[in-house]
Amino acid sequence: MTTAEQGKAGPPQGQLPTRQLARRLVEARRSERSDGDTSARATAAACDHLFRELSRWVGRDGCHALFARALAQARTDYPVMEEIQLRPQSEPYVEVAAETIMAHGDVATAEAIESMLARLVELLGRLIGEDMAMKLIEGSLALSQRGDATFDKRREEA
Amino acid sequence: MKDYERAAIRSLPSGVPGLDIVLGGGLPEYSFNLVAGGPGSGKTILAHQIMFANATVERPALYFTVLGEPTLKMLRYQRQFSYFDPDLAGSAIQFINLSAEVMEQALGEVLQRIVSETERAKPGIVVVDSFRTLGSPHGSAERGPTFDLEQFVQRLALHLTSWEATSFLLGEYGVEEQRNPVFTVADGIIWLSQVTDRNSVVRKLQVVKTRGRAPMPGLHTFRITDNGLQVFPRIPEQTGKRKLRKRERLSTGVPGIDEMTGGGIIAGDAVMLTGPAGSGKSTVATQFMMAGLANGEAGVIAVFEEYPEQYVARATTRNPEVAKMIEAGKLEVIYLRPLDLSVDEALAAILEAVERLGAKRVVIDSLSGFEAALAPAFREDFRESLYRLVGTLTATGVTVFTTAEVIGGFGELEFSSEKVSFITDEIIVQRYVEIEGEVRRVMAVIKMRGSEHSHEFLTYEVRAEGVVVGGPLTGYDGISTGVPTLRAGAKPSKPKRSRRQG
Repeated sequence: MTTAEQGKAGPPQGQLPTRQLARRLVEARRSERSDGDTSARATAAACDHLFRELSRWVGRDGCHALFARALAQARTDYPVMEEIQLRPQSEPYVEVAAETIMAHGDVATAEAIESMLARLVELLGRLIGEDMAMKLIEGSLALSQRGDATFDKRREEA
Repeated sequence: MKDYERAAIRSLPSGVPGLDIVLGGGLPEYSFNLVAGGPGSGKTILAHQIMFANATVERPALYFTVLGEPTLKMLRYQRQFSYFDPDLAGSAIQFINLSAEVMEQALGEVLQRIVSETERAKPGIVVVDSFRTLGSPHGSAERGPTFDLEQFVQRLALHLTSWEATSFLLGEYGVEEQRNPVFTVADGIIWLSQVTDRNSVVRKLQVVKTRGRAPMPGLHTFRITDNGLQVFPRIPEQTGKRKLRKRERLSTGVPGIDEMTGGGIIAGDAVMLTGPAGSGKSTVATQFMMAGLANGEAGVIAVFEEYPEQYVARATTRNPEVAKMIEAGKLEVIYLRPLDLSVDEALAAILEAVERLGAKRVVIDSLSGFEAALAPAFREDFRESLYRLVGTLTATGVTVFTTAEVIGGFGELEFSSEKVSFITDEIIVQRYVEIEGEVRRVMAVIKMRGSEHSHEFLTYEVRAEGVVVGGPLTGYDGISTGVPTLRAGAKPSKPKRSRRQG
């Protein structure tokens, strides 16, 4: 078993709508970022972006509470998530160390982070209704497509 | 004197049934309003109804949440209401959380954030929930200049008005704080309160101030349902005349009563039928209603003493047409028995049904049940409220038939058990009398404004098909005592089938 395979212990969530939406969020970020960027960093950037957008609605503390719950859930299936930290008071929000990517592999780390994103969408849907959660996140996607270069630059610098 | 052209102030709908009437026509556009009240008084719901009634993608509503109820929970609960359209959330209605600014920065920065978001979105409606939590700024001198809440509100009002936004600041204030200087800035103040009286809670709304409008004064009751707030404007005193209706006679559906009243009761009048339990009041009321329906007049029955299903089942047993008329949309039975009811709410429900059906006849069965359904606070001025209710109903041209129970069927006759007889134009009393060890029923017309009527006590029976009036109880004295005595030489009156039945 490779190191990358060890990082992925949980069941794949297949093509659930929440997983699809999470993937779209990631793809939207990836398309804006440099070619040399890793998948894991692109996925973390998608989380950063969603954190920023949702914070406008529900407040930074409220949004962090949602992400913290999603992270806790993701950790049960993806041990690699134990090494991922959330930092609500600074940027980037989702901290992914280079060593983590090295140790677990880029693809596996990205998938684990994407799992957290999908769980966040599910959680939001349970709280305010799937339709509104989807709408909020679609709104975030639309903003994403308008570009968020400044913030992404900060992540690259970090 | 020269006539200057007035700057027209457009009115926005509040989206709250009944509130626009209280506001004097709606919310003045670009006004700066405060919505005050204690916790759970309905401020947030009111603000959401206003937003959903007015927001568009072009002129969205901005809802700033500060400290207090977390936004997620607010959204979770708000979307349970029927007015909440998820399609509008995020586009026409944008929620913005200011808790970080409030926790970490001075009021100046909070104001700046609101202003910059307003400039960005160009909203038609702006809500700040709750502005009172801004009153204890968490900012420090190092973070920049601070100013007090009064100044904050003053500056916010200037900014929002210049951006042509109609704005609402929600705050938790007690009624005793109405003189708070912060309220002087507002163009409009809506005060929501909850009054607890014994085991009932009554919600009340007051438009304390609204510039450029003449609101309805006083406290108006409101209720919060799955549809949000519904305000029941206080029934105004009837200063105008009743809607003119040809003084035609209406059949009561009981030929004997029609004969006693000189050809039927007068259209547009208020009639009260009083009697002890089991005397057939509801039966006569149903006959009155069915006579109208047979004549093409739609009707509304407001019941208070039993569930409508039971009422309809019983009435249908006597007359199968009852259920058919309900099905045909000609008759509506409305049930009003929440035990914290206000007279204004009852009127609103009846008037709404009258309007919907184009009803000409209304039955209130019974006043006794109605009084019991009222919150204790409203029972105190029941007579006055009922006077206004009946006045409002008859002013629309409908004929109102009320029943009232008198306690004790055999004692001295009480003509006005409810002490509300002055509200009615016509009073018919029913009672039990004991004759030779038998219980007999008699009725009489004791009041009929502007019309001759029978002065006799007539016997009657309650049969399967309804009330049937018999002949007069002749030869007896002291009928009103319940135990009449046969005059010397008179023959005892025996029950007999009336010649009056057609």
